[in-house]
Amino acid sequence: MAPLSSSRRTPLWRHVLVQNAGLVLAVGMLVAALVAYVAVYLATQHRLPGGFELTSTVNNTMPLVLAGVAQTLVVLTRGLDLSVGGVVDLTNAVTAITLGDSPARNALWTVLILLIGAACGLLNGLLVAVGRLQPILVTLATLSIFQGLAVRVLPQPGGQVPEGYTALLANPAAPTSLFYVLLLAVLWLLFRRSRLGIDIIAVGNDAQASEAHGIRVRRTRILAYTLGGVFSAAAGIFLAANSTAGDATTGNTYTLTSIVAVVLGGVNLFGGRGSAIGTILGAFVTTMIVNVLFFAHIDPLYQNFYEGLFLVAAVLLAGGIGRLLGRRA
Amino acid sequence: MSGARVSRPAWFESVWGSTERRRILYAAIAAVLLFVVGDLVRPGFASLRSIEAVLVVASFVGLVAAGQTFVILIGGIDLSVPWVLNAAAILLATSSLGHNDRAPLAVALTLGMGALVGICNGIGIALLGIPAVVMTLAMNGIMEGLTLGLSSGLTCSSCASYAPPVVQAAAHARLLGIPVMLLIWLAVIAVVSVLLTLTRFGRSTYAIGNNARASFLAGLNVEATSVALYGLSGFFAALAGIALVGFGGQASLGIGDPYLFQSIAAVVIGGVYILGGRGHYLGAVFGSITLVALISVLMALNMPEYGRSIIYGVIILLLLLLYGREAGES
Repeated sequence: MAPLSSSRRTPLWRHVLVQNAGLVLAVGMLVAALVAYVAVYLATQHRLPGGFELTSTVNNTMPLVLAGVAQTLVVLTRGLDLSVGGVVDLTNAVTAITLGDSPARNALWTVLILLIGAACGLLNGLLVAVGRLQPILVTLATLSIFQGLAVRVLPQPGGQVPEGYTALLANPAAPTSLFYVLLLAVLWLLFRRSRLGIDIIAVGNDAQASEAHGIRVRRTRILAYTLGGVFSAAAGIFLAANSTAGDATTGNTYTLTSIVAVVLGGVNLFGGRGSAIGTILGAFVTTMIVNVLFFAHIDPLYQNFYEGLFLVAAVLLAGGIGRLLGRRA
Repeated sequence: MSGARVSRPAWFESVWGSTERRRILYAAIAAVLLFVVGDLVRPGFASLRSIEAVLVVASFVGLVAAGQTFVILIGGIDLSVPWVLNAAAILLATSSLGHNDRAPLAVALTLGMGALVGICNGIGIALLGIPAVVMTLAMNGIMEGLTLGLSSGLTCSSCASYAPPVVQAAAHARLLGIPVMLLIWLAVIAVVSVLLTLTRFGRSTYAIGNNARASFLAGLNVEATSVALYGLSGFFAALAGIALVGFGGQASLGIGDPYLFQSIAAVVIGGVYILGGRGHYLGAVFGSITLVALISVLMALNMPEYGRSIIYGVIILLLLLLYGREAGES
């Protein structure tokens, strides 16, 4: 009700800004990170970063973008998915051992792998929504299960991804993966206005009120986790395509980094607020920070230190700006 | 469902009447059952010596779980445990350089470091309003980066130092036939239980966990209590780090990694409510023993690591579902 009564007094641009403070901040951080990256690159390499840098950045960020979208769907319902890394592990391992030379067979396996992700997400969703268990505990337990299965599937790093498959998903020659980033953004904009998208955000805002308004809360939660599983699986597939082989443990990091991308993207961890587009930006900010640290010749051993500090600073900044704008509006 | 409930003797109701107390009992029964199963699988598993070994390993989990209990009781969580523990182990070895006369100072320094890191977590969460998951996650990264960077990836000249003999002895020696490590754990159990149940601080903790806003309106210092609780969590993670480096002799990278999952699992198995306000440390103690006994049984079965990882997750889910059903009853 508040926006209606106050809309006469506060200008529209400020209202839009307040509503999308997280997104605006994510854009600001990405611009700042890009400027810092170009500056550091110029200072150390004595030329501007070119197509190769763009291609490798996009290819390296794609798995995080997808894992971040998976995390966003769950976080929006006021949950948290710690099993993202486990699903990435499992699907990465399955991708590496199943793909072959036949395109038809590869297409079939790709669908099957996405279904494996959906099954993992469905398990989480059922335990959370029907079992009425805490998301953080459920996904901590299923993380352990998925990691175990991944090692069972691929005990040693190996397997192989055909060249054509890599060229399609993570083309090393040109930044064609940017297409997938744009596709995800468009899909999100459509999803955001779909019945399920609206339900997910409503459930995250207030589950009881949603129930009272006829939203099927359980079904919405289950679908959010299942869809999250599909995106985590896609992250596993892209990871395998980009590294052209599989490893049952490299996916582990995506549990943490997906949360980082979500937070940097301005998605509210308490549910109901945020956009996957913010998360996508957050994923790129994360990669750019690693790039800046790399080209600034910072000892890689300190990398997590700076990332941790940056995460705290970003959350404080987002909170501060939100409060500042909120107070005036 | 209450109509189907069997009437229980009065003494049983008075002692085990509350849900969270019953869960302590369940965790204890689960631990005993695991020892029985283990003995069937591999005779001698339930021998005194083997039980003692399981308890000593469980004490490391139990120490971390003490800190985790404190923060979970106010609805928080501490994800910075792995690298606070690891940093503590390395700090103890590098600051004492294996000398007994440096041991007291090194232990004090290490525990102080743990408490300080925990207090920083608490300040970020309680005063600056950062979600606990994000703050402690970031702190884990910060501690990892600092530890790796300052020790040059554990290749520094003092990094190969052993823990002082006194600390090693404390982790291995026996007093009156009981391992000193278990006596330390018993002392921690006593102190933590008294702190939580008999002091104003403990009462405040439960009150904040049940309703932070109401606690604030009732005049409790919510912020200071929260900061202190996170400080305690850091302190206990550091204590576990000292115990581990004493037990193993030298520090290594990654020794803290298993303790995040295990400490949270132990607390949950022990019936501490993850959203705060309900539960006892004694539950987490039996949770730790159950967990370590389970790992030991699976290892006795020659279960490969991936199998253990899967069974581990399945059992925690089953326990959660079991507890969840019970909560639905009351």
